[in-house]
Amino acid sequence: MPRLEALSEAQRKMLLNWPCPDNDDTPWTTMGKPLSESKVAMVTTSGIHLRKDAPFRSLKGGDTSYRIIPRDSDPADIIQSHTSIGFDRTTSYRDINITFPVDRLEELVQSGYIGELSDNYYSYMGAINDVTGLIEDSGPEVATKLLAEDVDVVLLVPT
Amino acid sequence: MSVLARVYEDMGLVTTGLVLIEEHAKRVKPPRMLSVPFNFGNTLGRPNDPEFQHEILKTTFDLLDRHEGPVLESFSSNIAPELFSQGSGVPRQRSAVVTDPGQELGLRRPFYERWVQQNGGRTAVGLSTISQTDFKLVIKFLEDFIEDEEFDTPIRPNQFSVAHFIRYCVDDLKAYYFESKMSEDPELSITQLHEWLWAETALGSLIMRLAERMRSDDNNEVKAVAFGIAR
Repeated sequence: MPRLEALSEAQRKMLLNWPCPDNDDTPWTTMGKPLSESKVAMVTTSGIHLRKDAPFRSLKGGDTSYRIIPRDSDPADIIQSHTSIGFDRTTSYRDINITFPVDRLEELVQSGYIGELSDNYYSYMGAINDVTGLIEDSGPEVATKLLAEDVDVVLLVPT
Repeated sequence: MSVLARVYEDMGLVTTGLVLIEEHAKRVKPPRMLSVPFNFGNTLGRPNDPEFQHEILKTTFDLLDRHEGPVLESFSSNIAPELFSQGSGVPRQRSAVVTDPGQELGLRRPFYERWVQQNGGRTAVGLSTISQTDFKLVIKFLEDFIEDEEFDTPIRPNQFSVAHFIRYCVDDLKAYYFESKMSEDPELSITQLHEWLWAETALGSLIMRLAERMRSDDNNEVKAVAFGIAR
């Protein structure tokens, strides 16, 4: 994680007091086949989306909606509406892979490390402090779409 | 991120991923996560370093070999997370060459356009929906808004409130400046880029004045946006 001692006191306090759920158990699905035979999808919480789609909004508790990003999207058509001043975005200007490693995944398929990739990737907003909508609505909705696309493994990448 | 991993796993998908805030993952208990020691916005450690990014991704996928969880491993790295300053933490340089942001905008344009050309058309500019060739109108709007709290502009798309439009305008202008500067001087660090914006540019000065003006507004939405554009 980022060095907490290097962050501002306000940011440090905010992160340590973040209202995330405390769970006792962990859901678990067993891998049914090797990664080299699996279909992999990517989900990001960097708040990116296609330019033609509505931006994520700064809502109370956070925007728990999602956007679909077809895997063959031109990076020039992707924009980020998660623009908090709490994090630097210039590295993602230099290289989209820093938070959305599309090129790296393609390379892992070419090398045979991953079997194949899903046609669609998914994006959510980050910094959500009321996750009810993720658990009840947009999480299950995206999971249903991933299963319909015969996805085996989901790679999750935050920003 | 950790919450989504639990939802997906519960529905029969296998998940693995990266987390930036290890403390949160310890509480949420997602099935498999690799904790990385980088700052927000730098999840895969270093831009334009495919080899290093592959190392991180393969370590993340290696977690799929585990038979029980939760699995929360740490990725160790010697890369020191680079910090950057907010506007209030950077003293203004009195030697700033240009003091008019409208004029400055024009001087930055060749560098910005070269950035877009060199990056296959990719740019972070666009949230406001205003073309970069019309950014002088955006600057004029922001300057007028500082002077007149009731000020609105015909260039604002109907789907955005005034406050929200200001946020996107500022996001676009910052992106335009940062991309132009990275084109002009590709070796600048994150720290140097942010210091340049706040210390040396007329835009940095304008954004700080705008944020101050918005923080004192009676409207809560306007106040909230102020904290999103500068501190």
